[in-house]
Amino acid sequence: MTAVDAYSDNAVGDGGPVDAQNYASAILNILDDAAEEKARLTSTERAVLNILDDAAEEKARLTSTERAVLNILDDAAEETARLGQTQLAVLNILDDFDIEKKNVQEVNVQLRSEIAERSRVEVALRDAKSLAETASHELETFSYSVSHDLRGPLRAIDGFSQALSEDNADRLDDQGRQHLKRIRSGVQRMGQLIDDLLKLAGVTRAEMRHEHVDLSALARDVAGELREVEPGRAVEVLVADGLVAEGDPRLLRVAIANLLGNAWKFTRSRETARIELGATDKDGTTAYFVRDNGVGFDMTYAGKLFGAFQRLHSSAEFEGTGIGLATVHRVVARHGGRTWAAGEVDRGATFYFTLAQREELPT
Amino acid sequence: MTPTVGSPASKRDILLVEDNPDDVALTLRALKKNNIANEVVVAKDGAEALDRLLPQGARAGRAELPAIVLLDLKLPKVDGLEVLRRVRADPRTRLLPVVILTSSREEQDIIRGYDLGANSYVRKPVDFTEFVEAVKNLGLYWLVLNEPPPPVET
Repeated sequence: MTAVDAYSDNAVGDGGPVDAQNYASAILNILDDAAEEKARLTSTERAVLNILDDAAEEKARLTSTERAVLNILDDAAEETARLGQTQLAVLNILDDFDIEKKNVQEVNVQLRSEIAERSRVEVALRDAKSLAETASHELETFSYSVSHDLRGPLRAIDGFSQALSEDNADRLDDQGRQHLKRIRSGVQRMGQLIDDLLKLAGVTRAEMRHEHVDLSALARDVAGELREVEPGRAVEVLVADGLVAEGDPRLLRVAIANLLGNAWKFTRSRETARIELGATDKDGTTAYFVRDNGVGFDMTYAGKLFGAFQRLHSSAEFEGTGIGLATVHRVVARHGGRTWAAGEVDRGATFYFTLAQREELPT
Repeated sequence: MTPTVGSPASKRDILLVEDNPDDVALTLRALKKNNIANEVVVAKDGAEALDRLLPQGARAGRAELPAIVLLDLKLPKVDGLEVLRRVRADPRTRLLPVVILTSSREEQDIIRGYDLGANSYVRKPVDFTEFVEAVKNLGLYWLVLNEPPPPVET
């Protein structure tokens, strides 16, 4: 405001040449002032421009920072998503773990109950074994006492019947003698029954041995014995070669002897009897068979054949106690095998039996 | 001990160890039918048999041994196998012929019998005719054919 002030001071002067000089100087002053002002403005403008430049740079930096932050935020979002997934996976794993744990607990419970069950079974087995041992011991005692005591009274009946017929012959008529004869034959039959019963019990009691048994040789041997007893009969015995089994030789002999003995007996009416021992395949297992061309049997009663004291013929037709096939059945059962038969009245019979393979032999 | 030295078996007693009177009667009958004239001494249980064969105290060493002992197995008091065991354990009767004559042919009896030194094991048949035949064979063998062991000097 210096220029204005100078003008105002001079304006109140007298207005002569001096005044013009004053004016020029004032204007110069004003111009000077204006130049100064302009320079100040320029400098200010420059400063402002500088500031604006700075601000632009700052803005650019901010933008870049903002971009970086946005990038970071983007990354963070991805990371969050990943974390979310991981968390889900972990949760799933935990869920699975829970299920697994539950399963394990269930299995444990099951195992515990199985162990308890097993213990129960073991106890039951022990009980059964002890029962079996008791039964076996009782059978032993029973057989022993039957063997010793049951035959005694029979000897007395038989002996004194004969004494009666000898000592009191004069007081006995034909009928009396006939009665005594019947008494004695009854006694013989009873004696035979007792012996056969003991044999049957013996098959159950006998300790099992496991050996190679040549069934062919055994059968030929038995057939030879049968021939010796009845040399007059024409019996063709065909024994297949090489029949070898695993088992107890004594028990298997009992079985073969019974089967061949039956065949021998029930072919009595044949002019030429034919008895065959062979082997065939039955569902992958070797089935041995004894076949004859004897009187056969009615298949209706096949189920009774292997029962003790079961007979399909009267004693008058064919002697016997009905123990033979029961004994065969018992022997075969002890070898882990089975028995069956096929036949037709008057067309012969075939008796089959299997024996367990070596590894499955019961002990 | 002073047994009748050299007394032949046919002159000596038969000791029948049997508790069943029916069997005693039938055995005596069978012996008679076979004309076996030896005196038969019957012991009704194992204790009586041992008392006769191995007398104790005052009577010890007085008795003449029988030619043969027919020994049943199932007996009251002392059973047949125990009688046999004690007879074999005593030097006086160690060699005495003992025939087990019994009902059973239980394998355990037969094995035990021979194991303890029985000289024979004969099963009494139910059929009396067969029994008479068995007694005949026993008499012929043990009283006639067989040379008895010499008497024991004690």
